[in-house]
Amino acid sequence: MKSLSALAQSYIERFDTALETLPGQSSRSITDLRKAGLEKFSQQDFPNKRVEEWRYTNLSALTKGAANEDSSGAPALAASSFDADFEIVFIDGIFSENESRLDKLPQGLSLSSLATELGNGAVFSLNDEEDRSLIALNTAFMQDGFCLHVTENTQISGVLGITFKSTGTETHGLHIRNRISLDDGASLTMLERHEGKGSYFSNPVTDISIGNNARLDHYKFQNESVSAFHLALTDVEILQGGIYKNFSFSVGAKISRNELKTVILGSDAESHLDGAYLMRGEQHCDTTTLTEHKVPQNISNQTYKGVLDDRAHGVFQGKIHIAPNAQQVAGDQLSKALLLSDYAGVDCKPELEIYADDVKCSHGATSGELDDDALFYLQARGISESNARKILIEAFLGDVLTSIDNDVVREYFNTQSALWLQNS
Amino acid sequence: MLEIKDLRAEIGGKEILKGINLTINPGEIHAVMGPNGAGKSTLSYVLSGRQGYEVTAGSVTYQGQNLLDMDPDVRACSGIFLAFQYPVEIPGVASATFLKTALNAQRKFRGEEELDAIQFLKLVREKTKELGIKDDMLKRAVNVGFSGGEKKRNEVLQMALLEPQLMLLDETDSGLDIDALKVAADGVNRLRSPERSALIITHYQRLLDYIVPDFVHVLADGKIVKSGDKSLALELEEKGYAEISAA
Ligand SMILES: Nc1ncnc2c1ncn2[C@@H]1O[C@H](COP(=O)(O)OP(=O)(O)O)[C@@H](O)[C@H]1O
Ligand SMILES: [Mg+2]
Repeated sequence: MKSLSALAQSYIERFDTALETLPGQSSRSITDLRKAGLEKFSQQDFPNKRVEEWRYTNLSALTKGAANEDSSGAPALAASSFDADFEIVFIDGIFSENESRLDKLPQGLSLSSLATELGNGAVFSLNDEEDRSLIALNTAFMQDGFCLHVTENTQISGVLGITFKSTGTETHGLHIRNRISLDDGASLTMLERHEGKGSYFSNPVTDISIGNNARLDHYKFQNESVSAFHLALTDVEILQGGIYKNFSFSVGAKISRNELKTVILGSDAESHLDGAYLMRGEQHCDTTTLTEHKVPQNISNQTYKGVLDDRAHGVFQGKIHIAPNAQQVAGDQLSKALLLSDYAGVDCKPELEIYADDVKCSHGATSGELDDDALFYLQARGISESNARKILIEAFLGDVLTSIDNDVVREYFNTQSALWLQNS
Repeated sequence: MLEIKDLRAEIGGKEILKGINLTINPGEIHAVMGPNGAGKSTLSYVLSGRQGYEVTAGSVTYQGQNLLDMDPDVRACSGIFLAFQYPVEIPGVASATFLKTALNAQRKFRGEEELDAIQFLKLVREKTKELGIKDDMLKRAVNVGFSGGEKKRNEVLQMALLEPQLMLLDETDSGLDIDALKVAADGVNRLRSPERSALIITHYQRLLDYIVPDFVHVLADGKIVKSGDKSLALELEEKGYAEISAA
């Protein structure tokens, strides 16, 4: 047997003791689930660069056990407040009743902590037949998260805030497990935020199901500490006429990966995965998407824009898979990166796997520097070089940020983006 | 106002300006004419501080200061305005925002109060009206999708707003019909004053019917080969550059 990484070994050694305190410990089926997860994980270890999907993201800084060595990490941007209409808060991965504001939850929206659900012995089926080791690890060690449900035809107005704060004191990794289900005709807008200080490993796994004609606007702000590891996996299933819109705005973490998988199971359904990432220093930000069109007549698109300064590195891997019978499908994908330094870089791997013939797909990936002619033109009108650069960076991000439907969230992301630019 | 002495400059190791001498006093308008590739645009870029041009010899003094030491934005704030031969398209930046940012940067530099959105809009409306320029381009991204003529008008509008001390116009008339040409000339003439000067680069005598220069220079192969009054422009039109340069 090949030798496991130091971190994988420590997880395996710790498992039996951990089982005694993890939620759901009295439930046989949950314990079996965890054991199966651990078994799968120990067969695979953390992904390494020999795994095709992980060619561009090297986790050895994490798996050698370095996650807690550097505790100096500050948040990428100062902690920010967002005025959500209702909010659930997790501190170091654990639900905090005190910080949450759940008293005004509207009718038709139910929100509870996963630990509570597991403690009650809730039956829990998992959808990870693909053997992704980070999901298996999460299954073995999941300690909390949220369970969110919107009932049929309920349209929730306002924005639900979901906030994960890390203090950097949790040394064993934050294995957060979230489940979202929207019944037929339901709709919801939510903003998931991750921020923290110090050094830690955050591993949120989210399963989402979108019912017929339901719609989820899922915004995410990743502002982890610049010493943190953030490896997030989100799986989405969309039924007929359902709409899933994800916009991820990332500025944080030392190494981050936002992995999104959407499976379109109905006609007239839509999957929109967009985002912007702003990275500097030694930060590494990976966006990996897989969109599967299983049936005819639906659409998907993706637009990601990245700004990379210093020695920061971006990765975009996007795969669109169209099944043999899935005719009249449109899939578009675009990744653009702006490199502010000679040492910044980006790897892009767009992939189309098309087995139907009547489809319309496009993909494009570009990376480039600021336009010198434009910079000079602005300066020649009296604008300082640093301001001219900011103006051009904002212009680069402009169209993807203005595409955000929700006014409050758009404003919030614009503010965060301006703050990031101020620090440059 | 501006004193250029023995100026030599190169791009990528190739010498383009080969010893330029030119003095512009306050209130004067100088025209520079010359064949393609003579170095006219290069001169305008060196004066406005574009990167990539290496000055190998000579000096440029502007209002008593060493111009070559100043950053491009400081030059602009100190009153130098270049109307580009090829104005740059900047996707994603609204013209109005761009103009306001530029104007306020210059006002701030001079210790003047910055204009708010309403004051700015009022000022722009005034200028567009004076010059007979449609203000719908303010809503569009800077020069993006503008026709050649619109781009040149936009340069003239910017000049009117920024009220420079030294106007550098690089072939602002090229590709313009007679109406647009008059707009450009009007832009310069409105700013004309005993304190302000201009250096007008052009191919054609026709612009000089509307902006009457005090001096005309012929630039060929990186050097000023002949200087004279406005009649030199007419002579050039008749005889062509080759004969004049050879003389
Ligand atoms: N970026 C550049 N790199 C190399 N050569 C250049 C560059 N720009 C201009 N040149 C050369 O410099 C000379 C002068 O160009 P320019 O100043 O544009 O002339 P003009 O404006 O008088 O037509 C030409 O021979 C041109 O080819
Ligand atoms: Mg030229």
